[in-house]
Amino acid sequence: MRNGGENRGRLLLVILIVSSLFLITLDLRGVNVLDGLRSGTQTALSPFQRAGSVVLTPVKNFVNDVTQLGRTRNQIEDLRKQNQKLREQLISRKNQDGEIKQLKSILDLAGTARFKIVSAKVISQGSSLAFTRTITIDAGSGNGIKKNMTVIAGNGLVGVVKEVFSNSAIVMLATDPAFKVGVRIAGTQQIGILAGLGSSTANLQLLDNQTTIKVGDILLARGSINAQPFVPGVPVGRVTSVSNAAGAVTQSATVEYFVDFGGLGVVSVVVKAPKADPRDALTPVKPVPTPIPTVTVFVTPTPSASPLGN
Amino acid sequence: MLLRRFGITSTIFALFFIGQEAVVNQLSFPAGGFSIFLILTLLWAALSTPEVAATVGFGAGILLDLSPSTSGPLGHWTLILVLMSYAISFLSYGDENKRGNPLSLILIVTLSQVIVLASYLVTGFLLGITATSFAQTLTTIIGSAVWTMVVTPLLLPAVAWLHDLAFDSRMRI
Repeated sequence: MRNGGENRGRLLLVILIVSSLFLITLDLRGVNVLDGLRSGTQTALSPFQRAGSVVLTPVKNFVNDVTQLGRTRNQIEDLRKQNQKLREQLISRKNQDGEIKQLKSILDLAGTARFKIVSAKVISQGSSLAFTRTITIDAGSGNGIKKNMTVIAGNGLVGVVKEVFSNSAIVMLATDPAFKVGVRIAGTQQIGILAGLGSSTANLQLLDNQTTIKVGDILLARGSINAQPFVPGVPVGRVTSVSNAAGAVTQSATVEYFVDFGGLGVVSVVVKAPKADPRDALTPVKPVPTPIPTVTVFVTPTPSASPLGN
Repeated sequence: MLLRRFGITSTIFALFFIGQEAVVNQLSFPAGGFSIFLILTLLWAALSTPEVAATVGFGAGILLDLSPSTSGPLGHWTLILVLMSYAISFLSYGDENKRGNPLSLILIVTLSQVIVLASYLVTGFLLGITATSFAQTLTTIIGSAVWTMVVTPLLLPAVAWLHDLAFDSRMRI
């Protein structure tokens, strides 16, 4: 009897393993029904993700503030000076203000390049346990979004649309290890391939051994045929270090992305690119440090000091 | 009886799946974070018979495969969770020192989580999914193990209670 039970268990295990392998085979062969299942799941999950996004926004803002404490010290000092009522109002509106700011910078960028864009809110970040870097946005095929469209933020390139559903889409971030984009150094014709590393930096490999690159160089997307998956001219990042390995055929460099991928609230999908390449028009302007006036005080002692209490 | 167990178990897993996708995935935890759905599956497997564990692993794997953030082919998570759930249950079932002891369960789930992620990565590599850098992978796996060790004790009483409710096993952790 016991042997019979064990045999049944093993038979069940074998059946389940074979079923799993069968599913993997079907998926790898591109059976459409399976794509429909994932699409259906995303459609069903979208309302929950939206609700979760709304509920968790204060928590996310708090965590974001804590992790960026050093950068926002001045802002926090300013906030402390305000009274309690204003601070509460500011906290409640902070998320909306941030999104408007992000949206405005995106519109500035898209307006300069004459991109036709569809803006969307980030409703979920993909699980990093899947070893990918993705976000889910609340706009999909119903908004004109298609697979392989470029996604931008106010500072530059965010990624590319990986999957599209009726009312949402999944975007592969530029930080994903599988992400690769052809780039051009702003102001030159030097080109290279930028690859994501799973962090806020990326690796640039130049294609021509005659060209050189230096720290501070700005990289722009080179653009693809028919502007998909990449529209030309979008700022990507800045070179932070250059590797001059003796045996290397071409130079490579480490690049820091312009976009803060941890604080993405609103992004835009470029649904139509202009026929003309914007060239270097979108290159971010290097901030000019504001000169601090030096105040010199001359103190001249009076010739005859009068005693105190006089 | 079977229908009741199936109904309760399916509902619990569906709710945890929605919780994972709608809540946990929204928050950016340092070093990879954790998956309450994976923890539930592994805990459930540790508390069940090998046959139930394998079946639950299959269902949970299907749900994870259907998750929009999953990059692998459908069946990838399913295969790994079927094997891992069966293995956990097979090794611990009948040994009340392991199944009845919360510390043992936490260690089993944490270790299983590491093996599951490593297996997912290795099989993913064999299936042609691009892997991240070694340092990043190591950080994610170690980070998720630490997170799992922290989160599992919080979930364990609830999962044990739900398991009792579904299977009426009268087991007390």
